[in-house]
Amino acid sequence: MKKVLKDETGKRIHPYVPELCEELRKGDVDRREFLRTATLLGVSAGAAYAMAGKILGEPVVRQAMAQSQKPGGTLRNAMQVQEMTDPATFDWTEKSNQARHVVEYLVETGPDNITRPYLAKGWEASDDLKTWTFNLRDDVKWNNGDDFNADDVVFNFERWLDPKTGSSNIGLFSSMVDEVDTGKKDNKGNPIMGKRMTGGAVEKVDAHTVRLNLNSPVLSVPENLFNYPTAMVHRRFSEEGGDLTKNPVGTGPYTLDELRVGEICRLKKRANYWRGDVFLDEIRYVDLGSDPSANIAALASGQADMIYGNLVDVSQLDLIERLPNAVLHQVTTAQTGVARMQMDKAPFDDIRVRQAVQACMDHKSVLDIAYRGKGAIAEDHHVSPIHPEYAKLPAQKRDIEKAKKLLADAGHPNGITITIDIGNTSGKWELDSMQAFKEQCAPAGINLQLNVMPSAQYWEIWDKTPFGMTSWTHRPLGVMVLNLGYRSGVPWNESHYSNPAFDKALDDAGATLEVNDRRKKMEKVQGILQNDAVIVQPFWRAVFSATTTKVKGLKLHPTLYDTVLHRTSIES
Amino acid sequence: MLIFLVRRLGTMVLTMLVVSLLLFLLLEINVASVAIKVLGPYSSDEQRQLWLEANGYLEPFYVRYFTWLGNFIVGDFGSSIRFKVPVGDILWPRLGSTGILGLATMMVVVPLSLGLGVLAGMKEGSKLDRTISVGSIVTTSVPEFASAVLLSAVFVFYLDLLPGTSSMTDGFSLVQLSLPVMVLVLYDFGYVTRMTRASMSEVMMTHYIRTAVLKGLPYKTVIMRHALRNALIAPFTVIMLQINWLLSGVIVVEFFFAYKGFGALLLEASLNQDIFLIEACAMVAVFVAVATQTLADVGYTYLNPRIRFA
Repeated sequence: MKKVLKDETGKRIHPYVPELCEELRKGDVDRREFLRTATLLGVSAGAAYAMAGKILGEPVVRQAMAQSQKPGGTLRNAMQVQEMTDPATFDWTEKSNQARHVVEYLVETGPDNITRPYLAKGWEASDDLKTWTFNLRDDVKWNNGDDFNADDVVFNFERWLDPKTGSSNIGLFSSMVDEVDTGKKDNKGNPIMGKRMTGGAVEKVDAHTVRLNLNSPVLSVPENLFNYPTAMVHRRFSEEGGDLTKNPVGTGPYTLDELRVGEICRLKKRANYWRGDVFLDEIRYVDLGSDPSANIAALASGQADMIYGNLVDVSQLDLIERLPNAVLHQVTTAQTGVARMQMDKAPFDDIRVRQAVQACMDHKSVLDIAYRGKGAIAEDHHVSPIHPEYAKLPAQKRDIEKAKKLLADAGHPNGITITIDIGNTSGKWELDSMQAFKEQCAPAGINLQLNVMPSAQYWEIWDKTPFGMTSWTHRPLGVMVLNLGYRSGVPWNESHYSNPAFDKALDDAGATLEVNDRRKKMEKVQGILQNDAVIVQPFWRAVFSATTTKVKGLKLHPTLYDTVLHRTSIES
Repeated sequence: MLIFLVRRLGTMVLTMLVVSLLLFLLLEINVASVAIKVLGPYSSDEQRQLWLEANGYLEPFYVRYFTWLGNFIVGDFGSSIRFKVPVGDILWPRLGSTGILGLATMMVVVPLSLGLGVLAGMKEGSKLDRTISVGSIVTTSVPEFASAVLLSAVFVFYLDLLPGTSSMTDGFSLVQLSLPVMVLVLYDFGYVTRMTRASMSEVMMTHYIRTAVLKGLPYKTVIMRHALRNALIAPFTVIMLQINWLLSGVIVVEFFFAYKGFGALLLEASLNQDIFLIEACAMVAVFVAVATQTLADVGYTYLNPRIRFA
C-alpha cells in the first residue's frame, strides 16, 4: 500500500510534493515553477512560499502592506462597456471585468502566475491527475442571502458542458466530455458530431465538496477555473432568467447598480462580503469609445482615474509619461498575436506554402518595429518563455532561399499573392507587425496584402478567414492555449489545425507531473506545431495601463483582468 | 400650395420606401447571416435554425419585408444585438443628445455666420470682406478630426481648462458640450458665411439697391429694408441642409470626444454589425434628410414669391 503523506493539519499532501522539494533543492526546477506546481497540487500558497524560502534559505517575505490606503471613493475606469448577460459565453475580457466584481471564481491566478484558493479553499489531485477534489469555503454567501455550496459548482459545470449553452469552456474541459453523433447530417452528408458531458464527470461529495472525474489526466484544472468564462453563477441562474444583468446574483464584493451598454457600468459595494471590507465604495466603468486619444484626454482632464490596458497603445507611452498626473503601469505577459493560416483552405492546405511564409519572418525586427521592442520574440508555437513548461527549441532564422524553394516545390515558382485579414482587436501593433512582415515576405516572392477591418467585424470572421491576424490573451500555462486553440475540433481552433500526433503529444505533456519530463514532452508538442507552420507568431508583448497618481495599490494583471480592484483605493 | 405640399410629401414617402427596400435587401436577404449576427459565432446550427423559425425568417422575402415595414411604421424596430434592449430605447435618447449638440451648434453658427456674411457681402472687396472671407476659408478647410486634436491639445492638455471627453455619464454638462460645439462651429460657420456673403454681394449689385442708394436712402435702411430679405433666401436653404449634415457629419466629433450621440451610435452599430440598429439609424437619417429638404423647399417657396407662383 502506498504511504499517504499528510501535513501538520492532517491534510493529505500529494505524493509528488516531496520530490518537487528535492528538485528545487537540486536546482532542477526554479522557485517560480516550484511555487506554481506545489500550489496546483493543493499546497496552500503561504505554505509553498514558506517551503521555498526554507529550501533556498531566503527570509520569509510578507507581501508589502498596503501603504496608506484609505477606504471610500469611486474609481472611474475607462473601458468599453459591453453587455454581460451570461458569464459562460463571455468572449471579451471587458465583459468579465465588469462581471468579476459581482460573480467570482473557484480559484485565482495572481499576477505572478501562481494559482491560489478563492471560492474553493483548497483542492487535491489524485496521483494519476484524473480525479480532482475541490473543498469549497463554507462562509460564502450570495448577495441574495443563499449559502454558496456544492450545488452551485455542479450546476455551473453541467451548464458549461451542455452544448446548448454555447460556452467555450467545453474546449477547456475537453477531458470531461464525450464525442457523440448528433444524428444530424451537414450539407455534404457527413454526420454532425456533438459534445456531451461524460456521465458522472461532476460529482457532489457533500455540501461543500465537489469531485471532478476526468477521462484523461489534466494538470491545469485549477488554472482553467480562472479563465474568464468560468465565473460561478447561482444554482438558479437559468430558472431565474439566465441574465446576470437583470438578476445580478453573485458572491462578489460589489453589486451591479446600473448598466448602459456603450456608456456606463456602475458597481456599488455590498455589505457583508466574505473576504471582509474593500476600499472602494463604487467602481465605475465608463465607455469613452475605442479611440485611445479620447481616453488619454479623459485621464489628463481628470474624467477617468484609470485606462483599461487594451486602450493604451504602445505609441502613446511618451504622452502618458509626460502627463503630470499620470502613472504608467507595465507588465510582461504571454499576450500575443498570431498570423494563422487555415490548413484546409488553399493555398495554405499545402504545408510548403505555410512553411515558406514562416521562413520569411525575422521575429526580432518585427518586435522592434511594431512594438518598440517591449516584449519577447516568439517562435511560432504559442508557448511563451514565461510559461513554466516552455522548452527551448533551436533558434529560428529567416531564410529567404528556403522560402523560395518551398514555394517553387509547392507549384508557385513565380511567387504567390496572399491576403491577411487584420482587425487590430487589441491595438494597431497588429497592423504594424504585418506591415513589417510584408516587407520581409517580398524578397521571397510572397506578396502579402493587408486587409484591415474594424475589430468587431474581425471577430465575426476570426475563425472563418483562411488567413488572419488574431490576438490572444495571456494564459498562465502554455498547454491551456494549445488545448483551447490547436487541439483538433475545439471551438476556438481558428486555423482548423488537426494533427493526431500533436493531440497525443499534448495529452502526454498535460498528464506529466515531473517538471523536467514535462518540459521534454513539451519540446515535442512545440516542435510539431512549429513545423506544421499553421501560425507565424512575431512576438509576446508587454501590456500597459495608466492611472492618475491618486490610484493606490494597483498591480496590473498580465491578462488585464481587473482582479485587484478590490485591493485598490483612491485618494480623495 | 396644397398640391405642392402633397407632391413634396409624396416624394418624401416614396424616397423612404425605396431606401427601406434597399436597406432590407442589403441586410436581411441572407437569413443565415442574420442568425449568426444575432446569436453570435459560437451558436450551433441547431440554435440558428430554431431562431430563424421562431422569428419568421423562413417566410418568403416579400412577406418578411412587409412585416418588417409594418413593425417599423408602428415604431417596433426590433432588438439591438450589442445592447440587448429594444432599439428604440437607445435610439431616441441618442438622437436627443445629437439634437442638443446640433441645436447648440446652430445657435452659434446661424447668428455668427449670417452676421459675418452680411458684413462681408455689403462691400465686396473691402478690407473687412477680405478678412472674413480668408478666415472662413481657412476654418472650413480644416477637417474636424484635425481641429478636434488641435483644440483639445490647447484646452485640455495645455491650458487644462476643459474636460477631454464629453460622455456626460453623470448627466448633462454644459462644460462638456463646449469642445464638440467649438469644433463643429469652427468647421461649419465658414461655409454658411461664404454662402451668405455671396448671396449678399449679389443682391448689392442689383438695380433696385442701386436705385435705393441713389434716391438718397440711408445706407442702414437700404441694407435692412431692401437687401437683407432677398439676401437671406439662399442661406436659409443652406442652413436647412446643415441640419442634415449635423446628423451624419458629427460622427467624427462624437467619436473623438466620446459624446454619446446618434453619430457615435451609427458608427458603433456598423462596426458591430448590429443590423436592427443599423436599419433604424439609417431610416432615421433618411427621414431627417428628406424632411429637412422638404422643409427647405417649402420655406424657400414661402420666402421667394417668384418660385411660389411658378
